[in-house]
Amino acid sequence: MFKKILIANRGEIALRIINTCKDMGIETVSVYSDVDEKAIHVLSSDEAVYIGAPEPSESYLNIDKIIRAAKLSNAEAIHPGYGFLAENADFAARCEQEDIVFIGPCAKAIRDLGDKITSRKIMVESQVPVTPGLTNTEADPDVMAKEAEKVGYPVLIKATAGGGGKGIRIVNSPDEMAEACASASREALNAFGNGEIYLEKFFTNARHIEFQILADSFGNTIHVLERECSIQRRHQKIIEETPANVLTPALREEMGAAAVAAAKAAGYVNAGTVEFLLDSENKFYFLEINTRLQVEHPITEMVTGIDLVRQQLEIAAGNKLSLTQKDIVSRGHAIECRIYAEDPANGFFPSPGKIEFLKEPKGPGIRNDCGVYTGFEVPVEYDPIISKLVVHAETRPQAIDKMVKALKDYIILGVRTPIDFLMDVMKSQPFSKGDVYTNFIETHFPDWSENFDESDIAAIAYVLDEMCGKKIVTGTSGYNEQTPFSTLGNWRL
Amino acid sequence: MEYKLKIKEETLSIDIKCHEENTAKAIIEDQEYDLKYSRISENELHLMVNGKNINAYISQTPDGKTIMLNGKVYKIQDEDKISKGPKKRKGVSGPSIVTPPMPAVVIAVTVKEGDPVEKGQGVVVVSAMKMETTLCAPYKGIVARVNVAEKDKVMPGQILVDIDPENIDPENINPENIEETKPGELAN
Repeated sequence: MFKKILIANRGEIALRIINTCKDMGIETVSVYSDVDEKAIHVLSSDEAVYIGAPEPSESYLNIDKIIRAAKLSNAEAIHPGYGFLAENADFAARCEQEDIVFIGPCAKAIRDLGDKITSRKIMVESQVPVTPGLTNTEADPDVMAKEAEKVGYPVLIKATAGGGGKGIRIVNSPDEMAEACASASREALNAFGNGEIYLEKFFTNARHIEFQILADSFGNTIHVLERECSIQRRHQKIIEETPANVLTPALREEMGAAAVAAAKAAGYVNAGTVEFLLDSENKFYFLEINTRLQVEHPITEMVTGIDLVRQQLEIAAGNKLSLTQKDIVSRGHAIECRIYAEDPANGFFPSPGKIEFLKEPKGPGIRNDCGVYTGFEVPVEYDPIISKLVVHAETRPQAIDKMVKALKDYIILGVRTPIDFLMDVMKSQPFSKGDVYTNFIETHFPDWSENFDESDIAAIAYVLDEMCGKKIVTGTSGYNEQTPFSTLGNWRL
Repeated sequence: MEYKLKIKEETLSIDIKCHEENTAKAIIEDQEYDLKYSRISENELHLMVNGKNINAYISQTPDGKTIMLNGKVYKIQDEDKISKGPKKRKGVSGPSIVTPPMPAVVIAVTVKEGDPVEKGQGVVVVSAMKMETTLCAPYKGIVARVNVAEKDKVMPGQILVDIDPENIDPENINPENIEETKPGELAN
């Protein structure tokens, strides 16, 4: 096993990785930019290396600086976390050249799977079902329109490169085709330097279901069950759960086998995630493989008891998987809510700022992977994630109740968070029925705003806060402060 | 003591009388509340309201207090303390300056001094937490001064670009100076 690794990331995910390293006796090296000098990952690691200005291109996305930091600190391996360089094939290749272990798949797998056409071709060849559409790029809108007639409207025009909702257009009828192709291509060219596009069928009422994969370098590949990730805003997940209530044991087995086949076809090694769309008739289609540790990995850890980061480290160190498919059993139900610094009553706009006060929820079955602390300034330069609140209980209804309680107990002052919004989602009829689709938020919470049921109490709190001064009352007023030491009798030896 | 508090669009009148031993009585719209309270920390008050325990979490903001109660966020202002600043001109609704809606970093400035701009034309692109927003000229005019450069950190209220209006018609000022918002690269 490695003696020391570098974590090329920040915030909650860097801390998450550091925690497992500490469990395993592995020393950790953090990297940080100007605005992260006091960030939680820096405070928690054994060593920290300064890498530059706040802009990601000058620090967390800068391959040269990360490599230099690893050399400087004698780290044997680099864990990229998610985002930043996690799915950058050039970075993985550079690590290989520099004799540093990249904790993730090889550069070729990242490159192949990062290109949507290449990955669709690999899946078609291995008989993994893909969404109906093209397996080649196409520049001619007329050819696109013909293909659209074949698969049926609506369709998606999609850039072959990149992700994150850029270079994607929904086309509902033939007359929208030419404009959609031109603008998707233009946007992709601007964002990724590659304007190539293709077409696939768009499912309006679909679920997003993904399977966790573990693969070692000896050809052993298993899946670690599914995650239901349908609830999204701006194409980004906000609530995830496992198991997915829509999967029958037979369908789970079938999709799990397809996920393993997909990973094997791509020559995949390490932890990854195979994403599928599940349509309203429970037919599933391969979407893509995420070649990294997912944000939502903790729910899988909660129901299976497996530490996925530990598995990643073991695999990267060249060890054989200690688990076989039949070792993977899940118990109970887990839900994750992503707590972003954003305003749910104002279109989920970012809300950076200083954390004035933080109190994390506690209790049996509650896990909060948190990247901030009281007094920390949430930078405007990076992802707005503050923490991932995860609960685990025997059943789905119990997990929902536990999540409501945990959200209620979660106090964050200084930045706006969607805690109240998430409580409303948890308590809603469609969520409790499990009617979750990718258009859930637009359908059920299109113009959400705060509803106040305790304005009177809030007003009372306001006034009492004004009146009772900032002095902290301990013990009973009129008496001297009592501590165990002032009331304790003599020591008897 | 009497307070007039603004919560969202609503105004509440609260009359409160303090007694000994951290107890008090409040009346809000004919409703009586027996109160006991103690301060736990600078940001925490423990309340007993008509015999029921409630924890309130409070932070001071420039224009009032933010209070968290049972997972909900209340932004409260004291009506007597709301600054009676210069009232907005009649007929001018919404922003008439180029300013970011949240703390952000300047990604691009697409105009320079002396440039003529049309109402609604993008002049500055800012980014906050990977979300890009294009700020637009609120009216037709000539760029008088560009106050920021790329990579600058900017705050709401800060005027990023001064525009000299051309034949300004106050009735015609665009209330919405945010043209488009798009998600940046996502981490998932």
